[in-house]
Amino acid sequence: MLTSAILQAINGVSLAALLFLLASGFTLSFGLMRVVNMAHGAYYLLGGYIGLSVAQKTGSFALAIVAGGAAIAVLGYFIDHFLIRRTGENHLAQVLLTVGVAFVLGDVALAIWGGDNLMVPAPKFLKGSVVLPGDVYYPMYRLVMIFFGVFVGVVLWLLYKKTQIGAVVRAGVDDREQVNATGINVDLLFVMVSALASFLAGMAGVVGGAFLTLYPGAEWEILVYALVVVIVGGLGSLGGAMIGALVVGLLDAYGRWLLPEFSYFVLFGPIALLMLFRPRGLFGKEH
Amino acid sequence: MDRGRLALSLIALAAALALPFVAGPFWTGLATQMYIFGLLALSVDLLLGHAGLFSLTHASFFAVSAYTVAILQVRYAVPTTLAAPAGILAGTLLAAVFGISVRTRGVYFILITIALGYVVWGVAHRWSSFTGGDNGVTNVPFPAIGGVGITSHTQYYYLVLAVILLCALGYRVLIRSPFGLGLRGIKASETRMQSLGYRTSAHLYAAFVLSGALASLAGVLYVYYNRFVNPVASSFPISVEAALMAIVGGSGTIIGPFLGAGVVLGLRNWVSSFFEMHHAIMGAVFIATVLWAPDGLVGIAARLRARFSRPKEPGP
Repeated sequence: MLTSAILQAINGVSLAALLFLLASGFTLSFGLMRVVNMAHGAYYLLGGYIGLSVAQKTGSFALAIVAGGAAIAVLGYFIDHFLIRRTGENHLAQVLLTVGVAFVLGDVALAIWGGDNLMVPAPKFLKGSVVLPGDVYYPMYRLVMIFFGVFVGVVLWLLYKKTQIGAVVRAGVDDREQVNATGINVDLLFVMVSALASFLAGMAGVVGGAFLTLYPGAEWEILVYALVVVIVGGLGSLGGAMIGALVVGLLDAYGRWLLPEFSYFVLFGPIALLMLFRPRGLFGKEH
Repeated sequence: MDRGRLALSLIALAAALALPFVAGPFWTGLATQMYIFGLLALSVDLLLGHAGLFSLTHASFFAVSAYTVAILQVRYAVPTTLAAPAGILAGTLLAAVFGISVRTRGVYFILITIALGYVVWGVAHRWSSFTGGDNGVTNVPFPAIGGVGITSHTQYYYLVLAVILLCALGYRVLIRSPFGLGLRGIKASETRMQSLGYRTSAHLYAAFVLSGALASLAGVLYVYYNRFVNPVASSFPISVEAALMAIVGGSGTIIGPFLGAGVVLGLRNWVSSFFEMHHAIMGAVFIATVLWAPDGLVGIAARLRARFSRPKEPGP
């Protein structure tokens, strides 16, 4: 029982690491550009599929991650520039538009990669399992996934809090007009953040595709988890995305274990509590 | 109502009544679906077009009501006179719970309703011992009251037509009442309504529950038409398509959501007969609507009428 509880905790944290990759991009692009991009899940799935094809061709997992991320960064730029930009700050229009984009991307992915569950091949040294204290066997990949999530989190946090670009982005989140008035090219900033967000989503697809598998519909399942993460953490907050990812990851793991038929239902708990006590999430600001 | 619109309404009504006689069962079936999904779109639009809240969880009320009717009728042989009201009650109760989402506004409201909708989908999908999992509940009979029952899709068409006409009339009274005016006031400026002494959250909550009740009614009509229900009824695409139908037709009007339902369903039926990727086509409709027709068909018609009825003004 105790071993299972510990295993589920590790499962939860590794899912949290993946959710953080996806939610951080979503929350940053909302914070800075006020863009709600519902195609983020589709970016995840498409990035995963592209990574899968690259991994099958070249045999390199690292290359797959980079290719999946880069391809989605380019795609995300075009979608941002030619479609989302035209909706201004109308969130209703953004949601409808990006849902439409997600439908199109999902169908294109289905036509190319088919409807089966596909798994991105993980590199050899990450296959197999490790023995944790107490004779518990745990898949190596999911354990490394946690470190990878923490690593990306730390890099993002340093970028956000300690560099000049991060300072400009934070300033942009607080008051975009003022930043523009000081002579900083906000448009360029938008392109960079949007590319980063798309890159993270595409990369998450490759990384997640190696343990959650890729299949039509996965884009919406993962998107909803990411949405709950940002609802819990508060839109636009990087720290909120970390905490939210942990909450959702752990709840999901324990929910699947203890209440398998109602595992989605356990997600309702934190949402309901937040609506009652903190409608803007833990770290959300007035928008 | 001016004479032109009255004449147009009468022609539309006559066409609706004559449809099963002039067109085959395919068109009658498509029209029935259009009425049912139009009603769902109308329920979404009570919040979207009048209160300014964009809900993406209405498939939940629709599906919970449909599942309630199906399970009661199929497993417990409960008659329609009890099963149908029970379905509406179940959907409305869920709306009363999900209604707390009106504590949030804007983006948070959108995101929270999406997440809530997924909770319902997840339960329908995973709780297979009760909901039948992905197979759902099948063999739902046609509705019957006492000994008199519907026996064909044509008869059911007229029943659905009668229900939606009653709903449209009730809806018209509702949105012209002080309550409806209050909703539009909140949409225009919530702070101003608050300073006038309105309890805006209570107002929005009431609208949310009412809208959920209407969506539940659509769910009852749906399950008796479809004769089965599975988790697809509760899925996110149903919610977002209902909103799309309202917008394509013309948000804030009564006829708009039904027109939009006709356009969306007709297009999907037509396209899927020769093109496999009908999701992509739906996606393209979403994108095109947002970019080129944000006011929908009713908006386009109004623009055309304004252009032709007004004498040409001299150019600048």
